[in-house]
Amino acid sequence: MTLLVLILIPLAGALVVGLSPERQAKWIALAWTSLALGAAIFAAFMFDWANPGVIQFSPKNHASGDLTPLLPLVPSLGISISLGADSVSMFLILLTTLLGPLCVLGSFTAITERVKTFYVWLLILQAAMTGVFAARDLILFYVCFEFTLAPMFVLISLYGSTNRRYAAIKFFLYTFTGSMIALAGLVYVAWVYSTIHNGAWSFDIADMQHAALTMSRTEQTWVLFALLAGFAVKVPLFPVHTWLPLAHTEAPTAGSVLLAGVLLKLGTYGIFRFVLPFVPLAVAEYASLIAIISIIGILYAGFICWVQTDVKKLVAYSSVSHLGFCVLGLVALNMVGGAGSVMYMINHGLSTGALFFCIGMMYERYHTRSMNEVGGLARRMPVWSFFMVFFTMASVGLPGLNGFVGEFMALLGTFQSGARTIGAGGTHGPLGPWFAAVAATGMIVAAMYLLYMVGRVVFGPLKEPDHHHAHETLPADLNAREITVLAPLAVLCVVLGVYPSPMLRALEAPVATTIAAAREASSRMAPVPMDSGHAEVALIHDGEASR
Amino acid sequence: MIDTALFAQAAFPELMGGITLYHYLFVSAAMFGLGVIGFLARRNLIIMFLCTELMFQGAGIALIAFSRYWMNATGQVFVIFVLTIAAAEAALALGLVVYLFRRRHTLDAQAWAELSG
Amino acid sequence: MISVMQTIPATLASHAPAAAGAAHAPTAPGDSSAIWLILIPLLPLVSSILCGIYRAWGVTSKLPGYTTVLALAVSFIVTLTGYLSFGGAGVQIVHGFQWLNISWGEAHGQSLTANFSLYIDSLTWLWMLFVTGLATLIALYSTEYMSEDQKNGGYARYFSFFSLFVFAMSCLVMGDNLLLLYLGWEGVGLCSYLLIGYYYTKPAAVAAAKKAFIVNRIGDLGLALGMMLAFVEFGSLEFSEIFARVAEIQATVAAGGHVSWQIEAIPLLLMVGAFGKSAQLPLYVWLPDAMEGPTPVSALIHAATMVTAGVYLIARFLPLFALNPTSLAIVAWVGGLTALLAATIGMSQFDIKRVMAYSTVSQLGYMFLGLGVLTATGAAYHVFTHAFFKATLFLSCGAVMHGFAGQLDLRKLSGLRKLKGWGIVTLAMLVGCLCLAGFPFTSGFFSKDMILAEAFVTQGPGYQALGILALITAGMTAYYSFRVFFRVFCGPVEFHPSDDHHGDSEEEHEAHEDAEGHHGFHPHAPGWAINLVLMVLIVGSLAAAIPYFVDKENHGWVGGLVHDSTAGHLVLPTVAHGAEDAAHGAEAVAHGEGFWSDPHKWMYYVSGTIGFIGIGLAWLIHMTRRTEAATAPIADGLKNAMRPVSTWCERKWYVDEFYDIIFRYPLKILSHLFYLLDQLLVDGLVNFAGAVPRMLGRSLRPSQNGLLQSYAVGMGGGVAVILFIVWILL
Repeated sequence: MTLLVLILIPLAGALVVGLSPERQAKWIALAWTSLALGAAIFAAFMFDWANPGVIQFSPKNHASGDLTPLLPLVPSLGISISLGADSVSMFLILLTTLLGPLCVLGSFTAITERVKTFYVWLLILQAAMTGVFAARDLILFYVCFEFTLAPMFVLISLYGSTNRRYAAIKFFLYTFTGSMIALAGLVYVAWVYSTIHNGAWSFDIADMQHAALTMSRTEQTWVLFALLAGFAVKVPLFPVHTWLPLAHTEAPTAGSVLLAGVLLKLGTYGIFRFVLPFVPLAVAEYASLIAIISIIGILYAGFICWVQTDVKKLVAYSSVSHLGFCVLGLVALNMVGGAGSVMYMINHGLSTGALFFCIGMMYERYHTRSMNEVGGLARRMPVWSFFMVFFTMASVGLPGLNGFVGEFMALLGTFQSGARTIGAGGTHGPLGPWFAAVAATGMIVAAMYLLYMVGRVVFGPLKEPDHHHAHETLPADLNAREITVLAPLAVLCVVLGVYPSPMLRALEAPVATTIAAAREASSRMAPVPMDSGHAEVALIHDGEASR
Repeated sequence: MIDTALFAQAAFPELMGGITLYHYLFVSAAMFGLGVIGFLARRNLIIMFLCTELMFQGAGIALIAFSRYWMNATGQVFVIFVLTIAAAEAALALGLVVYLFRRRHTLDAQAWAELSG
Repeated sequence: MISVMQTIPATLASHAPAAAGAAHAPTAPGDSSAIWLILIPLLPLVSSILCGIYRAWGVTSKLPGYTTVLALAVSFIVTLTGYLSFGGAGVQIVHGFQWLNISWGEAHGQSLTANFSLYIDSLTWLWMLFVTGLATLIALYSTEYMSEDQKNGGYARYFSFFSLFVFAMSCLVMGDNLLLLYLGWEGVGLCSYLLIGYYYTKPAAVAAAKKAFIVNRIGDLGLALGMMLAFVEFGSLEFSEIFARVAEIQATVAAGGHVSWQIEAIPLLLMVGAFGKSAQLPLYVWLPDAMEGPTPVSALIHAATMVTAGVYLIARFLPLFALNPTSLAIVAWVGGLTALLAATIGMSQFDIKRVMAYSTVSQLGYMFLGLGVLTATGAAYHVFTHAFFKATLFLSCGAVMHGFAGQLDLRKLSGLRKLKGWGIVTLAMLVGCLCLAGFPFTSGFFSKDMILAEAFVTQGPGYQALGILALITAGMTAYYSFRVFFRVFCGPVEFHPSDDHHGDSEEEHEAHEDAEGHHGFHPHAPGWAINLVLMVLIVGSLAAAIPYFVDKENHGWVGGLVHDSTAGHLVLPTVAHGAEDAAHGAEAVAHGEGFWSDPHKWMYYVSGTIGFIGIGLAWLIHMTRRTEAATAPIADGLKNAMRPVSTWCERKWYVDEFYDIIFRYPLKILSHLFYLLDQLLVDGLVNFAGAVPRMLGRSLRPSQNGLLQSYAVGMGGGVAVILFIVWILL
């Protein structure tokens, strides 16, 4: 029941906001998103953390007391509203519901026209995003996955800046086209299920995984590329990323935050949930290709960031670069890489979301995002500058803050993964040290462009636009409301940076089950190293593979 | 029990005298054809609308004739439905036409071509 | 978060001198009494947070400064107590809490564990003693030095970063795993970034801060990859595990086995990190620019502590380096060449802080040379003495800068020793210069000799030549340090205040402008805090020579500490294969009996003489016939005579420009190209895909003419065509 409630709360909130007067809309939206956050925290308490790999709150799992009922939609095709969550879903749901109230709170002064519509769509978006992470039925997943587009389209096209229509349409069409191809891939898997089961249909994720594993290598390859067409656009991976900088630049602050914070994670979540377990043979074969694309994206987008003058575009491109690490960690096909990648999803959501908030607050005051027009704000806005530098450092991957955990683990996973480097701490896998070494130069590039940004916007001589007219209701520096938006994110950045251990422990089981098949496929492909010095080690690994 | 097929074949001329199915179909086709020609040739919205009604009724006659021919009530029921809906539709359409006329003070269909490519 | 402490009875412990073991009773495993050692990093962290809160509250008193001094002083006392209780008694591991923890199997190497735990052996004690000690002193100095910024909140910010630095440095030195070391490593980099950019309204400071962080990141890349390779090879990031594995490999090597190339690659990667952090070729360029920060920061971070982190890293992993003689040779040569290059630049700079910066680079080069020639003792001892005398020098420079409104040009200052109230500064500068120059019986003399002598003794590619280079560098060092002293503190009295004052508040600036100009300007002599700190440091710099005479058996107190640490047990593949079997201790090669056969003996005289020559030259060139601050006839004449070379030195060999041309500009152009490519090609293809349906639509558009009748014809025609097709098919 819990997960259903988590989806229904924002929907009910949307209804109430829609019926409420324009002036109270923001408070009601805040109340409902806070309620959703409370419910999500309650769900996290209900969650059985001793078995993080087990799908919980699900009708198929009778072990946990709290069952979400299975509501059949199209029984003849086996489509139902089936919900459930393992720890990965749970973390992402928590991230989504956390960003919800913050986005509402952060939009109080930014949105002044058509306020009600804004919050209604924001709440619908939250419901759809929660649905994606909670869905255990493929059609439900897909419906929610696609339905995130509509609210986002409205948010961008109604509340964006100058070029918003173009950005909104491009965003919609680009990601929609990709996901249509992904749908074809998923339907093919469902059809395979149906042929095995004499015409019976099921879209349950677990059922479909069993069916998918019976596919031949060729079939898997086709399905892999179909799925990637949808998820890679969403992530976005190079070279299908061009919608993102545009959408980010044009979107209102709350839209950018949710776009970077959650919507991009739909892509990586899709890869984690469907690509890795469904088509292990193809993944093992093409992992290095995907990794190379990710690495190109990391460096390419990073360098592009370095020459931006629009702060928001810079951060947008940095998302392309950062998400490259995320995908890289996933295709390393080992525990460290996989868990690091999931950590990265959460951490990127927090730190980049916060950066977008910061930029939004600057934009509200100066009505420009160009680094040629504003600079040296540390003098004018010390509190804002503190947060800006803080989140930049989290984004750079400074150890002790959250960004580092995911980035380091994704890189270490990549480094470990490879037959040629099998020492005591190595694992069989498709990648290897060279991949890690090249990808790790992204760390330098990240420092280059992020410090370039901070150096211009925060530090240096004070520069304000000539036509600068202060926002009527906003003080020079951040007000209490804005600090309330940023502070929880900052606290989480520190907590997750210093004490990620419980999260990592909770990720072990789901990551292990997700990558198991692909990893075994990969280790069967990789030749056992002939280095005599490592004979003993090779034995250990054989034992591990058989276990 | 009477064989329905036999009944149909036998009964038709008996009740209708010399009028066969073909006569009905001819009337139906003529009405439909007139409707089409009227629709294509005239520009007055009301006339065009009346022509569509004409086509409707033409089709209705064909349905009833076939229904009688096969001794199957479905066709007649269908026509009753069509008539009912046509009545509602006529009310709506004429209302629209009146509205359009008020906006442009003309009944020329050509006046409403803003969406042309 | 259970805290337990255990003594590692690893190979290292067995090499600890028996006497030390008896004096300090080894703590039994499970003994949690040493949990208070966690205070060493914790107190600075608390102080940093407190100062941050002060900043938020707008505290304008000296409270942040005193809070920091107190926290660091207590931290130092804890360190001292810890050393006296446990120093030399093997390894203390104090468990904090789990940081990263994930596993994918039961076997060894199938879990990634990195905790906030401390690994404390004698090497750690050495570093922590001078880090916390000097940090306390320099914080005290800063309470006065930074007082101008009290009003605008910079004061609390400064001390917050300062404390954070000490926290990060203690993580670096005390961490029990490579990842925590990395945390400290990047953490000190962050603090360095924030403190170099302290005067954030100055574009030069911002640029220098950025440069420092990015160049350091290049080094960090090496460290990160080295760490990953170490994990893959050893199956753990924890020092105790790693050194246990290293001991196994050492045993194999001693028995004539070979070292796998992966193991050999680890030191090669780690040293890249060390080169970055310790400003060695080719990554030294950030350090001179880092002088944009407040001077106490230069003294603590960019002279005494942070930059020695690279030395610490290599010293900590010296057993690994020893397994790959190539890496040692690279370290030695990079160190030697950096020392020489930096010395040539230092000789020709006019900004006294820059001179000190290059001298730091140069001295760090000596330390690397020492590590390369396997005298970890010499290197560590030089780190120790250098920390004191370089801090002294920088703080003296800071006092000058503070007193003369930011003036640092040695052509605009002269004869300061004759001014009232500048006696202690002059004395401090003199002592610092003497130590730096390696004047006989000063601390720098002994520590430098140890490295120089070892360079001549140790077998290695061109080490003799390297020794001679290092001797020449020593002469240059003596010259440039006394060049500063003679020009600034001796000669005729003359001073011109600077016109760019290192303050970040505009009001401050305006206030000073009234006082500036030749007429109204009065230098303000240092107050009690600065003088007190300088006095302590004078004593400290001189007293740093004492450890050399303590524990003579192990080449001094520092030698003892190094010997007891992980750096104490080395196995060289070449030695193992050769006839010699003297593989223990940093001083691997037996020393001869005769005078000339033992460089440790004749080096005293040679280096002493060279130091005298350098000082004499400085006196000759910069003191004789000098009538005013800006003109020293001999110096100017010499400079003209050596035209191309002197210009190149003054322009720092154009290394920055070279890097710009080789790396920065091409990358910038590449980035622009990428952006163009992204907009035109990548996005262009997308737009093209979008344009195809649009074109199609445009071509079909005229058929929609808005005529109801034509649509009807179309519809009818369509039906007809379909019927026709159906008819044909049937």
